[in-house]
Formats: sequence, C-alpha cells, structure tokens
Amino acid sequence: MNSTSTSGVGGGGGGGGRSWASATSVSASGKRIRKEMLEFNSEPPPDCSAGPKGDNLYQWISTIFGPPGSPYEGGVFFLDITFPADYPFKPPKVVFKTRIYHCNVDLNGNISLDILKDSWSPALTISNVLVAIRSMFTNPNPYNPLVSGVAHLYLEDRTKHDEIAAAWTVRFAR
Amino acid sequence: MDDKTQIKPVNDSPSLHEVQTLDDSSDEGEEINESFVCCICLELLHKPIVLACGHISCFWCVHHAMDFGRESHCPICRREYNHFPSICELLHFLLLKMYPETYRRREKQLLEVEKTWGVFSPQLDLSSSCVNSDPKAPSPPTNFISCHETNSSVKTSPTPIENSKKIVELSHGGSANSPVKSAENSVITKNADIEENTCLNYKACKPVSINDALCITCKQMLFQPVILNCGHAYCESCLEVPENEALSCQLCQFPHPNGFPKVCLVLDNFLEREFPQEYARRRDDVQHKPVCSQQGTASSACTASSKKDGPLSSKISQYYSEWMSGAGPDIHFGAGCDYCGMCPIVGERYQCKDCVESIGFDLCGSCYNTGSKRPGRFNQQHTEGHSFRQKKALRLSDVTVRLLPVISDDDLDSSDILDEAPEDDSAALGLLDESPDDPEIF
Repeated sequence: MNSTSTSGVGGGGGGGGRSWASATSVSASGKRIRKEMLEFNSEPPPDCSAGPKGDNLYQWISTIFGPPGSPYEGGVFFLDITFPADYPFKPPKVVFKTRIYHCNVDLNGNISLDILKDSWSPALTISNVLVAIRSMFTNPNPYNPLVSGVAHLYLEDRTKHDEIAAAWTVRFAR
Repeated sequence: MDDKTQIKPVNDSPSLHEVQTLDDSSDEGEEINESFVCCICLELLHKPIVLACGHISCFWCVHHAMDFGRESHCPICRREYNHFPSICELLHFLLLKMYPETYRRREKQLLEVEKTWGVFSPQLDLSSSCVNSDPKAPSPPTNFISCHETNSSVKTSPTPIENSKKIVELSHGGSANSPVKSAENSVITKNADIEENTCLNYKACKPVSINDALCITCKQMLFQPVILNCGHAYCESCLEVPENEALSCQLCQFPHPNGFPKVCLVLDNFLEREFPQEYARRRDDVQHKPVCSQQGTASSACTASSKKDGPLSSKISQYYSEWMSGAGPDIHFGAGCDYCGMCPIVGERYQCKDCVESIGFDLCGSCYNTGSKRPGRFNQQHTEGHSFRQKKALRLSDVTVRLLPVISDDDLDSSDILDEAPEDDSAALGLLDESPDDPEIF
C-alpha cells in the first residue's frame, strides 16, 4: 500500500508505514527538470551550456569554458550530470568528463562541492550548480581538497600550480 | 550519511519526449508573476505554506523537502524548523482568484498524483474557512470534500474538475460573505464591485480586492504580513507576544512554535504593488501608532524572537545527540503531529487506532493532552470518536539489539526493522513487537 520512501529520512530512522516519511514519493522530477531546461536555454549562465544527452531527461551533458584569467583559460570542460529520481530533493550528481588539474576534482572527475552534498537545497538549480563549479576554476578551495597534492602545491607554489594546470588544460581540454 | 549523496541511476525514467507531452497545457493564458512561482517545483504556488522565515512553497514541496528524522531547513534561507506549518488559506484563495485556470489545473494534476499515493493534501473550502473565522464553532466532519477514500481504492472520488469548481465557487462566496464590510474606506466596496463583474469571467486576471488580504486583528489590509504556523496572517505590528509566553494565534489559539515569524515579503510586495494607496495609508497608520504600544510590541517581539530562535536549533540537535547516547526524550523518526505539525515528534506520540488512511493520524503529547480539534494535515477522516494508543519510540538500544537476530533472515525487509511497531507481522518479528504493557487509551 505504501510507496517506497524517497524523501529524506536522516539519521537511520523513518521507514515503515503509517508515518509522514513513507506515505508519498516524489513524482514531479521530470517536470521540474524540463522547466529548468527551458529556463537554462533562455538564460544560460556565462560560459556554460547544458542539456539532455539523448532521449533521457535525467542524463545531461554540460560544458564549461575555462574562465579568462585562470590557468584553465581556453579549455572546454565536459561534465556529466545525472538527476536522481527524487530531484530536486536530492542533489544532481555532477562529474567532470574532461581531466582537470584542480584540488577539488579527483582523477575520476568527482567534485567536492558542498552544494552537491550536504548543503544541497531543493531551491538550487543546475544553473546555480554550474555557476558554482565555474567559480571553482578561479577560486579553488585548498582547505577542503579532494587531491591533497594539488592543494598543497596551490598553497606552497601558486605559480607552479598554475603552470601545471595550464599544461593540463592544453593537453586534455582542447 | 552516505545514503544522502548516493544517487541511483534512473533507468525507467520518462524520456524527454514523454515528459514534454506529459504537461502539454503549459501556462499559456495566464502570466504568472515570478514571485508566486514555487522555488522548488518552479510552478505556480499551490496550497502555499509560509515558513517562519517568510518564504513560501507549495504544500507538497515543503513536505518533500522536510527531513523527517531531524530538524528541517528552509530551502531558500536554510532557517531551521521542526514544525510543518499549515497552508496559508489567505494566499491559497488569493492565488486561486488571480490565476484560476493555472491553479485549477494544478489542483487537478496533483489530485491524480495524490490518488496514486492514497494520501491527500487538505481540501480547502468554504466550511473550513468558516471554522477558521469562528474558533468556537465545532468543526463539522463535512469540512473535507470527500475526495479521500476509506481504503486504497480510488473509485469513489468525485471528479477533480467538480472538486476544484466547488472550491472556486466557495471561495467567491466566501469573499462575498466576508464579515468585514465595515466600509471604512470606499476602496473596498469599489473593488468588490469590480470583483463581482469579473467573477463571471475567469479570463480576468486580477479580481483580487483588499478584502482578500485582511489582518485577523485589525481587519484592515495586511501591512508587513507575518504568517503563523497555523497558516493565519497578521500584520507584524498587530501580533502581540505575551511576556514570557509562547506566541499563539489569536484566532485559533494555536501556539506558534517556529520562532517569531518574519515578514512574508512576497505577499507584502504584492500588496504594495497592487494597492499602493491603501498600502501607504496602512504604513502611515502603523508609523503613527501610539509610541508606547508600538514599542511594546516591537520590543517584546524582539525578545521573543531572540529567545526562540536560539533554543530551537540547539534543542533539536541536543535531543538528537541525547538519542544517540541512549538518553533524552523519545524521538519518533518519520512521524509528524497532525495538529501542531511537529516532525519528528519528540516526546510522547499517540496514534489513532481508527484512522484507516495509509499515512495514519498521530498527535504529539501536548496536542493530545490539550485535545485541540483541527483537521488532519492530510485530509484524514479523523473524528472525536476515534481512540488512540500510545506509541513507543525506537531507541538506539532497540536498533542495535534487535537488528542482530533479524539480520540473519534472508527476507530481510529494512522498512520493517525500522518501523516502530509492525502490528501485522508481530508474530514473525516478535522481537520487534511493542512492549506488551503499552497502555490502551480511549
């Protein structure tokens, strides 16, 4: 009788029937994603593009141009976006498909960005997420790194870090 | 919490094309003001709920965004809250008037979804707003449109169109019979006339009048409106906080637990835009109020807000950490109080034995003891004749001790393990059963 709970039940509780947590499931994710797509197309954030990969509305591909003035300038970075079924109540999963020398992005393209994890809010849109990722290019966060070596170099020898980042951009992102 | 960040790949999701045909009727015709678009579903607000921070979302959007195991946060400003507020009926009827087509279409679509869940949002109609305008009137069971069904069958429901038509008619009737006809300014009557004419024609986009946005206390147009947890709207300056007491609604007497509410700027800006003259008049009124009383309200509001804002957040986290160490009050994860909206219920929890709805009907200790009579949060057919049983909360020791024997079973069902009281399977999962000395309460 009860549909499976897809709502956020924190702390190992919830579950089971006859409670607020289990009674409903998110059904409008497709509609919301479609709304976002229309909004994104009419007002795309600077240097970003995004849209469904193929027929599946929940699988998007996105590109971000390396912002001028950063060592990533001139690069085109591809990202895969996967929307969960209970979007927007759970964050989308965003991974870099293009290799990048950045302390907050690991070898597999995983991104450490608070709004994609615990700080996610259903009021955020994919446009907000891409803007946040783009600002990561100019402002890496070496204090919460995913690749500690890169973060270390960023703090110790910024010039060398930027040189490597620029070299990777030429090598992988063009 | 790894499960929070884990994302299941969506395989059987509707394709792009399917979704496009899904809602063919896009918002043509009515141009929705951006400020009335829900930040979560990005559509016209439907059955709007105003959080204590003044931000608005749809009923189901707020519900889905809540964390049923811990404190919840506003999607916009992340302010903490622990009580699911009631729908703001004033805004509901305002939006219904302004965008009748879009609003009714959303109503219809959501009713279809709700049928698949077997769980329904409150049906707002004239009789329920009558109850609100007279706190002493007994709430008749007929104040729910019977779109709810006794079991999970969905055949008895009236058609959604009839349903929403009824709401529209009732809302117009309601404003016509509005008690405040004190004609202290001619604007009201003038607007009412315009309204009468446009009622017949739904194409008219702005049949709203000042009558649709009145403060409960001063019966004038809301100025800097705040909306309490019960959904009732006041001017910020009209809300008096009793010294050393919790803020409660003057109309329904319900306590407001989420800290002193902030002004709902969307509604405030709308009224300023829509009725600039009246708004300016109200602003002058409030500013020229006798200094002493104004200061009294403002200062007590300030203390109340500082008093309640702090403890709220620390309290819930404190309960939670106490729970983790096996002490402190019970926390009923996933359960919410159908009267005050507390979720998760902290302390005692009483569950109705006679409500058949899949979502159940629960009360927290204080609501059970005060015996308040309000409709359930999800349109349950709860009546006074129903009896309650006290539910035991799951404690940390229960989880760790009880999980062990069950885990060896192959047909392990995680939902049963976490369920506080699996009544149906009590024989199979004897270890999980409620303690036999659970009091039966009538």
